[in-house]
Amino acid sequence: MTVLSVPAELASACAHVTPAGPADMVAGEPARYVAAPGSVSEAGAVLRAAASLGLTVVPRGTGSRLDWGPAPASCDLIIDTGRLDRILEHSAGDLVVSVQAGVRLDDLAKVLAPAGQRLAVNPPATAPGNGGGTIGGLTAAGAAGALRYRYGSPRDLLIGITVIRADGTIAKAGGKVVKNVAGYDIGKLFAGSFGTLGLIAEATFRLHPLPETTGWITLNCPDPAAAAAAVQAVADSALAPAAIELDWPAAARPIGVSVLLEGDEQSVAARSERMRSLLGGSGAEPNLHGSPDDAAGADGGAAAGAFRVLQPSSGGRGSPGTLLRVAFWTGQLAQVLAVIREAAGQHGLDPGISGSAGAGVLDVAVAEIADPSAVAEFVAALRAGLKALSAGSLLPATASAVVVHAPSAVRAAVDMWGPVQSLELMRAVKDQFDPQRRMAPGRLPGGI
Amino acid sequence: MTADDAGIVAAIAHGDPVASALDPDGSLRQLAGDCVHCGFCLPACPTYQLWGEEMDSPRGRIHLITQVLDSGHGSAATAGHFDRCLGCMACMTACPSGVQYDQLIEAARSWAEADEGERGQRRRAPGQQPPGQQPQLPAPLPPRSLRDRAVRSAIFATFPYPSRLRAALVPLRAAQRTGLDRLAAGSKLLRRVVPEAAAALTVAPAPPAAGRGGVVRARSRHDGKPPVAARRLPARVPAQGGRRAVVGMLTGCVQQVLFPQVNAATARVLAAEGCDVIVPPRQGCCGALSLHGGRRAEAADFARATIEVFERAGVDAVIVNAAGCGSAMKEYGHLLAGDPDWAGRAAAFSHTVRDFSEFLADLGPVAPRHPLPSGAGAVVTAAYHDACHLGHAQRITAQPRALLRGIPGLVLAEIADAGTCCGSAGIYNLVQPEAAAELGSRKAKAVAATGADLLVSANPGCSLQIARALAAAGDADGDADGDADGDADGGSGRPMRVAHVAEVLDASIRGVPLESLPG
Amino acid sequence: MTSGRIDSGPPDAAPAGPGPAEPEPTGSRPVGPGLAAELTGICGAANVITDPQQLRTYECDGLTSHRSTPGLVVLPQSAAEVAAIVRTCAASGVPFVARGSGTGLSGGALPRADGVLIVTSKMRNVIAIDPVSRRAIVEPGVTNLAVSKAAEPYGLFYAPDPSSQVVCSVGGNVAENSGGAHCLKHGFTVHHVTGLEIVTPQGDLTWLGDGTGASPGYDLVGAFTGSEGTLGIVTKVVVKLTPIPEAVTTLLAAFTTMGAGGAAVSAIIGSGILPGAIEMMDALAIEAAEAAVNCRYPEGAGAVLIVELDGPAGDVQAQTEAVRAICTAQGAYEIRAAQDAAERAAIWTGRRSAFAAVGRISPAYIVQDGVVPRTALPEVLDRIGELSAEHGIRVANVFHAGDGNLHPLVLFDDTVPGEQEQAEKLSGQILDLCIEHGGSITGEHGVGVDKSRYMPRMFGADDLDTMQLLRCAFDPAGLCNPGKVFPTPRLCGEVPGVRHGPHPLVASGLIDQF
Repeated sequence: MTVLSVPAELASACAHVTPAGPADMVAGEPARYVAAPGSVSEAGAVLRAAASLGLTVVPRGTGSRLDWGPAPASCDLIIDTGRLDRILEHSAGDLVVSVQAGVRLDDLAKVLAPAGQRLAVNPPATAPGNGGGTIGGLTAAGAAGALRYRYGSPRDLLIGITVIRADGTIAKAGGKVVKNVAGYDIGKLFAGSFGTLGLIAEATFRLHPLPETTGWITLNCPDPAAAAAAVQAVADSALAPAAIELDWPAAARPIGVSVLLEGDEQSVAARSERMRSLLGGSGAEPNLHGSPDDAAGADGGAAAGAFRVLQPSSGGRGSPGTLLRVAFWTGQLAQVLAVIREAAGQHGLDPGISGSAGAGVLDVAVAEIADPSAVAEFVAALRAGLKALSAGSLLPATASAVVVHAPSAVRAAVDMWGPVQSLELMRAVKDQFDPQRRMAPGRLPGGI
Repeated sequence: MTADDAGIVAAIAHGDPVASALDPDGSLRQLAGDCVHCGFCLPACPTYQLWGEEMDSPRGRIHLITQVLDSGHGSAATAGHFDRCLGCMACMTACPSGVQYDQLIEAARSWAEADEGERGQRRRAPGQQPPGQQPQLPAPLPPRSLRDRAVRSAIFATFPYPSRLRAALVPLRAAQRTGLDRLAAGSKLLRRVVPEAAAALTVAPAPPAAGRGGVVRARSRHDGKPPVAARRLPARVPAQGGRRAVVGMLTGCVQQVLFPQVNAATARVLAAEGCDVIVPPRQGCCGALSLHGGRRAEAADFARATIEVFERAGVDAVIVNAAGCGSAMKEYGHLLAGDPDWAGRAAAFSHTVRDFSEFLADLGPVAPRHPLPSGAGAVVTAAYHDACHLGHAQRITAQPRALLRGIPGLVLAEIADAGTCCGSAGIYNLVQPEAAAELGSRKAKAVAATGADLLVSANPGCSLQIARALAAAGDADGDADGDADGDADGGSGRPMRVAHVAEVLDASIRGVPLESLPG
Repeated sequence: MTSGRIDSGPPDAAPAGPGPAEPEPTGSRPVGPGLAAELTGICGAANVITDPQQLRTYECDGLTSHRSTPGLVVLPQSAAEVAAIVRTCAASGVPFVARGSGTGLSGGALPRADGVLIVTSKMRNVIAIDPVSRRAIVEPGVTNLAVSKAAEPYGLFYAPDPSSQVVCSVGGNVAENSGGAHCLKHGFTVHHVTGLEIVTPQGDLTWLGDGTGASPGYDLVGAFTGSEGTLGIVTKVVVKLTPIPEAVTTLLAAFTTMGAGGAAVSAIIGSGILPGAIEMMDALAIEAAEAAVNCRYPEGAGAVLIVELDGPAGDVQAQTEAVRAICTAQGAYEIRAAQDAAERAAIWTGRRSAFAAVGRISPAYIVQDGVVPRTALPEVLDRIGELSAEHGIRVANVFHAGDGNLHPLVLFDDTVPGEQEQAEKLSGQILDLCIEHGGSITGEHGVGVDKSRYMPRMFGADDLDTMQLLRCAFDPAGLCNPGKVFPTPRLCGEVPGVRHGPHPLVASGLIDQF
């Protein structure tokens, strides 16, 4: 392997620039250099240097979700945010925190917990040692977990952002107060942008109180219709669930529906009782103080499955297999489950299905050993089935199936994003922020 | 410099003599200036509900009024927007800033009613001006169409005068009796100028001389029962039991011709509740129609006459059972404020005016109430319709409901969008028939949706309008072969009776079944 | 700087109000009869307004200090009509401005004399309610409250509730990212909109988002919401509906001082309770509300706090007791709890009418809208008091205390020479205070035309330039509501790749293009 020397422009912009090593890959695409700026201004200088050199750039946190989405068309420079790890300000009285992009989720939680607060995002956990990934990566990937039902995804909690554009321009939007409508919400645009518009350098979030206690109620359902009915009953109830999760590990298994209740002891106890009777008694297993895997006990039943979406198996870096994210109108949960199973069955697949059923987002995990062409055909059939579900709607589409990550053979065979609306407008946005297409090129739909 | 002075200076500085003449003391400007443009009145306004245009909202009309005050003239379009206002005053209820829209729109209406003689002068080309004569000030608004003016003249020459109204109705009654109403035979006078007016009056209840009670009928058949009440009330109806008050009673013009049974019921209820009821025989129109139509001078004449009649009666309170009349009579003080001889008397008189429900709710009941058994069962469901001039102009909404709730076995149903006008609005259904019909049909739908057996209102215009709309809805439902007996039908298959609060109370006090409510 | 003001006293007939100079078009082509004829062909003559007096009724929105008579007003009745109107404008280079109910308080819908005002007030159908997915699809002219009314039979409501909810339109809410008293707990418009059908500034109809809230690609729904009508015109909105809470308790707590009320707010939030709303009014605001709606708040209150708790019945009951105890501990001398909808409405009436009600106690006023971190509230309120005393100008305070959103009402008499200038100066100083304390120049009224000159105080040139990249992406020609939000427009220049042939992946047939 040829050892590259770091270009002088880069070296002078930042002391921490090294030639890329064998591990410095982005979804299989090797990088040439890795820069780890220690400040926002240094990061700006790195991007300016990259602009002058015409380098393509991919931002990276811990790399937990770096294999999400298509591989970049090119990746000359990785900007590693690991040294941008300062928690800038935690204003407990205002329930607001400002952090640099490289702060890890678990490190942030440690700072917030003593004040009885938290950032209410719990994305599927990442590889051990990654600490849940970084704030910047989490935001750029739009990752969210079970709490999505109540609190939304990072974009819903993000109230201010500092970004660095492709040309090195440092810009902020939003601010430190929750209520603020001054100017465009650039944060929303960068949340879920996969690094294609620039680098997220700092972010400010709204916080929530840590619940005094949590409790899970789980229910095994025989079929999609029963599961959908349970989800619907919970969502329509006045019991304020924080999460409504579903887990269907295989076609032959029952479908687990798990409900998370948060609050003080008395409230959770009272609502658990009501939730249990709402869900029809015997099938529901209340577990007031633990996590769902405790509730499920040794048999590894539905609740454990539901908890699995909080665990590494479905989406962490390097996790094997193909992961799809299916988003839909929650009223079509039963049909969507049926469409997934039918499309998979046609191609001899038996994926695990889990996720925030109450919020209309499910993950579909196909085993690594599956035949890539079968997976590709499954994806196509799934998309066709979802399109059929949209028929009759005023909207051109009411559901989507995105391949989040996949083995390289599957990547080569599928359009990972699938059809996307208003692609022209998205291209126009990309063209404005990154006219030379140097920022994570090709990671978003339509080759953006 | 006071704000008033500022207004005058502004008008004069504007250099437009018409502008300064429209608002010599700047008071209109000040009233218009109270509007902060928040828009809370928009959803309350029936015409904004219909058309969704700024100029047909109170906020837009105030803006137009300001423009006329500024420039001295309004375009034909502007005049049209003033005419399209129902005067329902729902905007005043909605307004958080307390804008006195009633006064503003009355002023705007008066501009439209400028003297025809002046208009003749104005339309003359400048060269035709008689030499040496001062040029007439132009009217602030362009003249209405010939047809429009004819309609209005006919209305204002007929409605305030019970005898003329009765005469106008004769051919109509005849047609009703002979069943020839399909030919839309109506008053010749009215039909000549406006077919809609005749059409509106076809809903007028059958003449009491041949009337049967209860259901307001689009085209009633008559069973020849004797009249329940005489056309003319005695000059004094004595209190039953101990006398608790001496009250005067306005018989009204439309009310006494079209709904004499409401007046009879009003007098009986008042008497039953211990009131000596004085009904001055020489009373005339209270002037409400003229006042709300922008004919202030005419209204003032009616007001003076009315005040005089009731002053002589020596009563504690003057009871009014028609919302529009009560609203106008409570405004006499303001109407005659500029007349030094009358200002004090008018203000004092206005203080004695009470709506029927308002008065009885204050007085408290003594006469026992009985259930109104209906054929369907022991419970009667009644929907109460808020007349705009009661609910918005007089802010009386709780009292009639309380009175109705006092009737055993009566369940009160609320009508959705209760604050929205039914489209009757004085003469509105005669001069803006399309908008009125649309509002009437919306109201009928909302009324029908309550599933009530009985619709209760406190204004004759509303009763006519809603009954007609209910009947039309019933017809549209294809109920029947053009059934001439077409009860006002909400489409539920059940006929809905339409009655005044007084009639319902009267029936309850007398223990008379709902079916026999006088029609 | 300012929001809603009464124009009383000698009104000027000229279109320009007493506010600062408008960004009036210079040297642009007038809107001619040719354009009116074209638009008539699209919408019908009845929906194209050309009468000068009629046009002037549209000269301002809820903020009367900025006025400009539109060249033309059109009232389309369908998305297709809106698209055709915009295409026509774009083809002839005529600027256009969208307007809903005209209740905005930052002049966001201020028309252009050289442009077309597109009013969506005739597009007011609730198209569909999907109670199972808890979504509604509505036209932009539907009022905020009408959505909740339509959803009510299904036990659902639309959570954002700006004070003007009876009249303000959902399209306007999207443009302004409207909040409301209950956004403390339930979030803003952007948290409740999952799909938008828009007409782009080029006149193309397209959908942003798919209604799921998790559509692939850039979050254009999020970016569009709150863009104040500068990125296109909304023609359909998909909103989330929320189950009506099982229990709601509204507490009214009276304190002798604002300081005590503020301390109670901090203590409530600090206890981990997240109320639906926490509102505060000072003595002057209470006086105005009493004059307007006779709300009968406790006598002698220096501050009243309205705390609304919603959620499961047991939780609400427990939290109500907790909040009562906190308020009592902080010196509340009277606490009322509304038990039913009527009592709740009675408590809210005073608060909801407060802005317009100030007209009862002052000839003219400015409504300010600024945000400070909640913890800075006591200090900022003290400072506002000092500024008020320095200028000799009264300030009534009404605010969303839970999220630090201040609405100082700066009262003045515009017939007294110089007072208006003093009031405007004071109002501007309040914004400076907000910025100093790390807050914002607007929490919910928007920047519009009114506060664009304050944007450089809150944001640097690079920040504003970056925001305008988004503008250039959507509206390179700068015809869509120009002159709003930003103090100076960005030249979008040559736009690379707006249409640069099919993308290689599309051409290769590997990816679909919608």
